[in-house]
Amino acid sequence: MKQDLESSSEPGVLTPSVPWDIGARTQQERILKAMAKSCAEKSFSATTIADIVGHASISRATFYKHFANKRECFDATANSFLSELQQTAKVARATSDGSSSDSVRKVMAAVLELLAAKPNHTKVLLVEAPNVDPDIVRRYRLLILEALGAQHQAERPTISAGANPEIAFGRAKVLIVDYLAAGKVKELPSLLPELIYIAHLPYLGQDLALQQARLGQ
Amino acid sequence: MSRPTETEPPGSGGDLDPPENLHLWKLPRGRHGLPRELVARSQRERLLAAVVRVTAAKGYQASSVADILKEAGVGRETFYKHFKDKEDCFVAANDALVGNLEAQVREAYQQPGAWPERVRRGLAETLQWFAANPEIARVMMIEMGTVGPIASARFRETFRRFTALLDDGRGFIEDAPELPNIAGIAGGAVFSRVYEEVVLGNTANLPSLMPQLTFELLLPYIGEEAAAGERDAAAELLKEGTDSPSG
Repeated sequence: MKQDLESSSEPGVLTPSVPWDIGARTQQERILKAMAKSCAEKSFSATTIADIVGHASISRATFYKHFANKRECFDATANSFLSELQQTAKVARATSDGSSSDSVRKVMAAVLELLAAKPNHTKVLLVEAPNVDPDIVRRYRLLILEALGAQHQAERPTISAGANPEIAFGRAKVLIVDYLAAGKVKELPSLLPELIYIAHLPYLGQDLALQQARLGQ
Repeated sequence: MSRPTETEPPGSGGDLDPPENLHLWKLPRGRHGLPRELVARSQRERLLAAVVRVTAAKGYQASSVADILKEAGVGRETFYKHFKDKEDCFVAANDALVGNLEAQVREAYQQPGAWPERVRRGLAETLQWFAANPEIARVMMIEMGTVGPIASARFRETFRRFTALLDDGRGFIEDAPELPNIAGIAGGAVFSRVYEEVVLGNTANLPSLMPQLTFELLLPYIGEEAAAGERDAAAELLKEGTDSPSG
């Protein structure tokens, strides 16, 4: 969005300095943020539209201009954070040398930083989403595993060390959720070596995954 | 509205009163009142069994103390003599269930044998216990997460206590300081998979996952080759179990 504003540094009738929908966009962003806050405080099932409009300081009518109901708003909250994570992963990967070793380390580090910086959204995705609709989790698990698989496949087309990638995803999720529940969200980046180990385990096997974890320390 | 003082059978005052017969805790119950055995047991356990059944039937959030009283056939005063509120009662029921599961897992795990084999026995016990009690599994795995901070803290403690059993295996992987949470990484494989099956309603099929979960549980400690050996042993046992009706 910063780029949008910069690229229109010479405002005119056809290139307004502010995007036409910026009001609506920030309004929507406020609603998503309010949803995440309320979910983190009292769970999705206990969250009411009143909580959301209260946190976002908007009217009920404005809420319904953006979303038909609470569930639609939740999905938008989860999806927008997921896009942010994907974008973060993409940027981190672009700074790596392209090897699975370097890109997994950089992507994991960037993702953990983002999770630690946005505890409410992290709770939405990891704690609330499975309760609201397990399909949301299955969808992002697929995204992650496809990316991870492709990364390893490019280097070692025949590799399969025996561990199941879906189970690896489950291990990572349990580890992160445990930190959240313990109130250690700010310490998530310290899980880097272990998440590197978990991410490599199904593709490289125990010994090489441990080596990679050591590099991540 | 005063009720006659209820006389408690001996031994009902303890904090943990692991259920002797989980069938009494399960849905569906007989339509014509409570099983006789259950009435004979302590008021407290009747309430514990009732909160589990009510929660299994309508979810924790939607159930009320009134539902629990009706299910248990006891009065409000009795309820508040034992529990502070619905949450207190639910958490106590979960503690009793965990106590029952844990006793059986420890029993299997503590039998002599090589460590990987002991882990395999403990895992088999866990999967069989959940498979035999699908509604209870749902209450413990899913409803427990919707209760609140006390229940969540309890849940974490339980997970930690179960995975701490794996600490005996640390000797297999002495040079891995980069994995301080190795027990959670190992146990997380089982927990996340079991959770998923419970969500999908496939709880009864959990024992069929023994070979795969044995491998994933032991892998971080003993590596692929040794874990594959245990996986094959688990597969063999599973085959024998399904081949012979005596099990």
